[in-house]
Amino acid sequence: MHELVPEKLVTIIANDVFEDKLVAIVRRQKASGYTIVRARGAGSSGEQSGMLDIDTNIKFHVIIPVQGLSGLLDELRGLKRRGYNMTVFVSDVSVLVS
Amino acid sequence: MSLLGNLLIPAVLFFALGFLARLVKSDLRMPPDLAKMLSIYLLVAIGLHGGFALGKAELAMAFSAVLWAIVLGFALPLVGYALLLATRRVDPLNAAAIAAHYGSVSAGTFITAIAYLDNAGVEYESYPLIMLAVMESPAIIVGLLLASWSRQKLLATAPVAGAAGAVMNNGGDRQLARLLHDAFTNGSVMLLIGSMVIGAVSRPSAMEKLFPFVDEIFMGVLCLFLLEMGMEAARRIGEFRKIGVVLVSFGVMMPLVGALFGILVGQWVLGFGVGGTTLVAVLGASASYIAVPPAMRLAVPEANPSFYLTLSLGITFPFNVVVGIPLYHFLATLFAAA
Repeated sequence: MHELVPEKLVTIIANDVFEDKLVAIVRRQKASGYTIVRARGAGSSGEQSGMLDIDTNIKFHVIIPVQGLSGLLDELRGLKRRGYNMTVFVSDVSVLVS
Repeated sequence: MSLLGNLLIPAVLFFALGFLARLVKSDLRMPPDLAKMLSIYLLVAIGLHGGFALGKAELAMAFSAVLWAIVLGFALPLVGYALLLATRRVDPLNAAAIAAHYGSVSAGTFITAIAYLDNAGVEYESYPLIMLAVMESPAIIVGLLLASWSRQKLLATAPVAGAAGAVMNNGGDRQLARLLHDAFTNGSVMLLIGSMVIGAVSRPSAMEKLFPFVDEIFMGVLCLFLLEMGMEAARRIGEFRKIGVVLVSFGVMMPLVGALFGILVGQWVLGFGVGGTTLVAVLGASASYIAVPPAMRLAVPEANPSFYLTLSLGITFPFNVVVGIPLYHFLATLFAAA
C-alpha cells in the first residue's frame, strides 16, 4: 500500500511581475518548493494574451502542510488588500511519500 | 513624404495587417515569446548601429543630449499628470501610473520612425538614440514619486484608505529602492546601452562583419514585430468603451504635446536637423509599453492596468505609427524653416 500524506495545494493566478513577491512569501512560509507555469486568460485587468511580458499571467502552485496554510493565506490576503490582483484557491491533495 | 507615403512603408503595412487580422478574427497567431525575441533583436541592432555612429560623435553634444533627455523624462510625466487630473476621469493614482508611461519612450515607435526617415531619405543625428536609452527610466521615478504623493494626500483626507496606506506603510522605502534599481537595470535599458557601448568601442573592421545582421535583415524583423504589435493593438479596442472618450482623447493629445516639447528641444536647444528633431519629437510623443507597465503594476497596484495599457498600446502606439511620425516630420520641417 502506498503512503499518502494529506496536504494543501494553494494555486495562485497572478501577473508575471508578481512572481518574485510570491516566491518570497512561500519561502518565508518554509514551503519546500513551488511550480510556476505560464498562463493565458482574461479578468478584471483585461485579456492576458501571454504574448508580451505585460500581458503574461502565471499559475503558481505550492503544496504545504495543513498547519502552514493559515500563515500563507494571511500573507496573500495582505497582498490582495494592497491592490495586487490575484486569484487564490486551495485544494485538498494527497502527496505520495517514498 | 505625404501621409499616404508613410502608410505605404512595408513595416506600417504589416502593422495594419496585424490589426486587420485581429479585427476579422483570423486564426493568425505568433508563437509565444516571438515578440520578445524580435524586440531583443531590434534593440541590439539599433544599439550596435547607433553606438558605432556615436563612437565618432562629439562628447559635449552627447552629454547635452543626455541632459535634455533627462529633462524631458522628468517634465513630460508632470504635464501628463496635470492634464489627466484636469480631465476628472481618473483618480490621482491612476493618473500617476498613466503619466509615467507618457514620460517614458517606446523603442518600437522610435525604430519605426527611423524606418520612415530612411525610406524618405532624410538624414538624422545619432544622438537621439542615446536619448532613447536615457529616457526609459526617469519617468518611472516621477511616476513613483507622484504615486507616493497621491497616496499621502489620500491618507490625509481619508485615514482608513486601506489599500493606499498599506503600500506606503509596509516597507515603502525598501520597495522604492528596489523599483528604482529595476528602473535602471531594466532589460531593454541594459540591452540598448550595452549594445551601444559594444558598437562604440569595437574595431570598425569587426563591426563591418556584423552589418548583415544589424542592417540587412533589420527591416524584415521590424515588419514581423509590427505585425505582432498590430495584433496586440487591435486586441485593446474592446477596452475603449471602458476607459471612455476623454481618456481616449488624452491618448491622442498627449503625444502631440510631447512631440511639441521634443521639437523645441531637438530644434532650438540641441540644434538638430529635421531628421534628428523628428526623432526627438517621437521620443517626446511615444508612450512606453515594455519597461513602465511592470514597474507600475508592482509599485501602483491600485491603478487599473487596462487604463494604461489600452492608452499606450491601443491608442498612442497606433496613432504615432500611422499619423504621428509623418506629422512630427512635417512639424520639424516647418520649425526648421521658421
